[in-house]
Amino acid sequence: MRRFVSALVVFSSLIQVAPCLGGTRPRYGGTLRVNMQAALVSLDPADANSADPVALDEISHLLFDTLVRLDGRGNPAPGLASTWRSDSGYQRWSFTLRNNVRLSDGTILTPQIATASLRSVNPDWRLVASDDGITIEVSSACPQLPMQIALTRNSIVQRDSGRLLGSGPFTLSSWQPGKHLILKAREDYWKGRPFLDEIDVDLNRNLREQTISLDLGKVDLIDLAPGQSQRTTSEGRATVSSWTNQLLCLVFRNGNPSEDEQKLREALALSVDRKALASVILQGDGTPAGSILPNWQSGYAFLFAPSYDLRRARELRDEVHLVTAWSLGYNGTDPSSRLLAERIALNAQDAGLRLQTSMTPNPDIRLERILITSPDTHVALDDVARQLGLPMPKLTGASTEDAYQMEKALLESRRIIPLLHVPANHALAGNVHGWSSQWDGGLGLADVWLGTSRP
Amino acid sequence: MLVFKPKVGRTAFCILLFFLFFALENTLAANNRSPGTEQLAAKIASVTGPGAVSIELENKSSLDNNQSDEIRRQLLSQLASHGLRFVNQDQAAATIRVTLSENLATYIWIAAIQVGNNPTAIEMVSMPRHDSASPTLQTGTITLHRTLLWTQAAPMLDIAVLDGNPPHMIVLEPDQVVLYRYQGSGWEQQDAMIITHVHPWPRDVRGRLVTRKDHLFDAYLPGVFCQSGNRTPVTLNCRESDDSWPLGNDLLNLNGFYASTRNFFTGVLVPGIGKQSTVPSFYSAAGLPRAGYILWLFAATDGKIHMLDGVSDQVTQAAGWGDELTSIRSSCGTGWQVLASTRSSNSDSIRAYEIADRAASPATLSVDFEGSVTSLWTATDGTTAFAVSRDGRTGGYEAFRLSVSCIQ
Repeated sequence: MRRFVSALVVFSSLIQVAPCLGGTRPRYGGTLRVNMQAALVSLDPADANSADPVALDEISHLLFDTLVRLDGRGNPAPGLASTWRSDSGYQRWSFTLRNNVRLSDGTILTPQIATASLRSVNPDWRLVASDDGITIEVSSACPQLPMQIALTRNSIVQRDSGRLLGSGPFTLSSWQPGKHLILKAREDYWKGRPFLDEIDVDLNRNLREQTISLDLGKVDLIDLAPGQSQRTTSEGRATVSSWTNQLLCLVFRNGNPSEDEQKLREALALSVDRKALASVILQGDGTPAGSILPNWQSGYAFLFAPSYDLRRARELRDEVHLVTAWSLGYNGTDPSSRLLAERIALNAQDAGLRLQTSMTPNPDIRLERILITSPDTHVALDDVARQLGLPMPKLTGASTEDAYQMEKALLESRRIIPLLHVPANHALAGNVHGWSSQWDGGLGLADVWLGTSRP
Repeated sequence: MLVFKPKVGRTAFCILLFFLFFALENTLAANNRSPGTEQLAAKIASVTGPGAVSIELENKSSLDNNQSDEIRRQLLSQLASHGLRFVNQDQAAATIRVTLSENLATYIWIAAIQVGNNPTAIEMVSMPRHDSASPTLQTGTITLHRTLLWTQAAPMLDIAVLDGNPPHMIVLEPDQVVLYRYQGSGWEQQDAMIITHVHPWPRDVRGRLVTRKDHLFDAYLPGVFCQSGNRTPVTLNCRESDDSWPLGNDLLNLNGFYASTRNFFTGVLVPGIGKQSTVPSFYSAAGLPRAGYILWLFAATDGKIHMLDGVSDQVTQAAGWGDELTSIRSSCGTGWQVLASTRSSNSDSIRAYEIADRAASPATLSVDFEGSVTSLWTATDGTTAFAVSRDGRTGGYEAFRLSVSCIQ
């Protein structure tokens, strides 16, 4: 077998660390105790300002549904919409709502509720509620609209005086923003009641506390920082890694760089030793990236293979007479972010660049962790551009080649330097079964069940 | 009117299976063809024009060496038809590097083309992936045979085969029953019948197909009972129902009530086993005819095995057994064996056991599956069983016929 296939097999084994216990059917009942590092203060899936979109995404899946979901191959499949169709120009889409779906307060989901929800997130869309569904009109051809509809931010939410009502498998039983939430299984969930009775989530827990709690049997599921998973596995704990669905990258604040600035940015891209970042700081939890999307998703990422070329970086730097100093911001609550930023600054200095880590509010460059939210290359690129505030290249078609051209244009804008593709990692107690890694790193907790064996 | 002839003999069935495997192999071979080579060759030729080129091909996909070699052969042939000649790199006007890659849904073949000092041109084509799995068999003194019947991406709850002329196959899915007819080259869909239901299915939805003599089949689902017609086109009438499900077959008459919002039987039995009409809630059951009574084994939701003989309920842990049990009639050993799923860390297996004096002893080697066994039911005549597994790698479903023989 080739290395690529081997990697897939290894990956498959990673996400299968805690599948259903062989030969047994899922058990109903029990409370899953979860620790999260994130201090979520809002559970609204449309909250674009969330400090932790990964955690928000995970919780959103439990409380809300989308009209379209993604199947095992990443293709659109019926969610709250049972069917959909478009006109020949892919500008007008009609979605038929599933019958008898109820929100968590017992209200029947109506086309009006779905329309209002989507309108709040997509002000550019023209939305019309009909008797049995909704119609969406967009300004230009959009063959990927069902994939966009499947994004978590397009979850159907009824926002009612600060309350968020959804149709998801769990309902909010208790909520202390930034601290704690309890989710209760819904007996009337349209896809079948979850196996768990409750999920009890402690937020804002640092990683060390989480690990201790797992060791003491006080918690069933914890976050792992990048770089922790291999060590955790070697210590005998069960770990689960998602798809490499996050991109660590450098994002420049200013667009339209001058010619000199472009050379300096290219020099910075060439000066970063990504292999060392992945192997030393993240302990093998990341893959060097020269592309925005990982190869498992696009199939063409190897065309943007990253290179580490200090000599060429210095040449480029020497072509510029006035080298400006950059400030590099990072997430101060994430210890690995600080280490990564410091290493990148050292690499830059090796190339003669002036880069200083900083906690100022508007640094010249930000070290970002971006969640890749869709398996569809076009939708994912569009969403990454939206998350980073980058101008989206004009979409010319729906083919893989078109996606390649879009990504190429985004990279050639010199606003973003991809560094690493990293997975979401979790450690779990031995009694947690039925785990399935979701496209966007979600927990898939509606299918998780608790066995009898405690660690 | 749809007529099913009486069951053909075992020899005829084996011949049928041979042709089925032959057809499957041909289908897989057809899937391995490379429709993208022509398209990619045309794109490459539009960049290079006719002339001398050098070409390299690298396989970064899950295609095996034979497949990538075949693609290379076809691509070279197509390029030659566009007037390209293949030479060493130092003699070439253009160098072409072809990479066979893939993403989740498609194969992507990419050509990086360098003509002189021009920037590298990138051309690519993509086509849907056709993943498939091949069955494996293990044998022992008594052999448990596993025959792949059907694979599909959509969930399968149960499967049944009607041996007739032509043979038919029924696939129970959560939302429809699909009837296939064997047409010499493979199974062709004849009818698809929608299952209507008011209440949502439980998350681990289960179901059972039972073939009948006076109509084609009955389908049992959580809280729903469906009965087919016996004329073409086949109709399906479904209704909300708390009727009990058959646990055995024509020779083992016992029914159990199913918890319609869960994934197990409640434990209430009809008509009961002797004086015993209840057992703890259970996932599956297997009946073993004994002199004067039938011994029933239940895989209970508490992980224990209950053995009921009409008088006593003996509880055992049955180490290593999973939640799926059924029984099968054979000409081997005591004549009836229990098929039980077995627990492993990643994938499931099924093994046949003899039950002597309430103790289980392995009768065959295990038959391994790529993922988890999600369904295991005895066939109506009891001589075979049908198993469905979900491939943990691809997420697809595979249905198998299981039988036991004493012949190597």
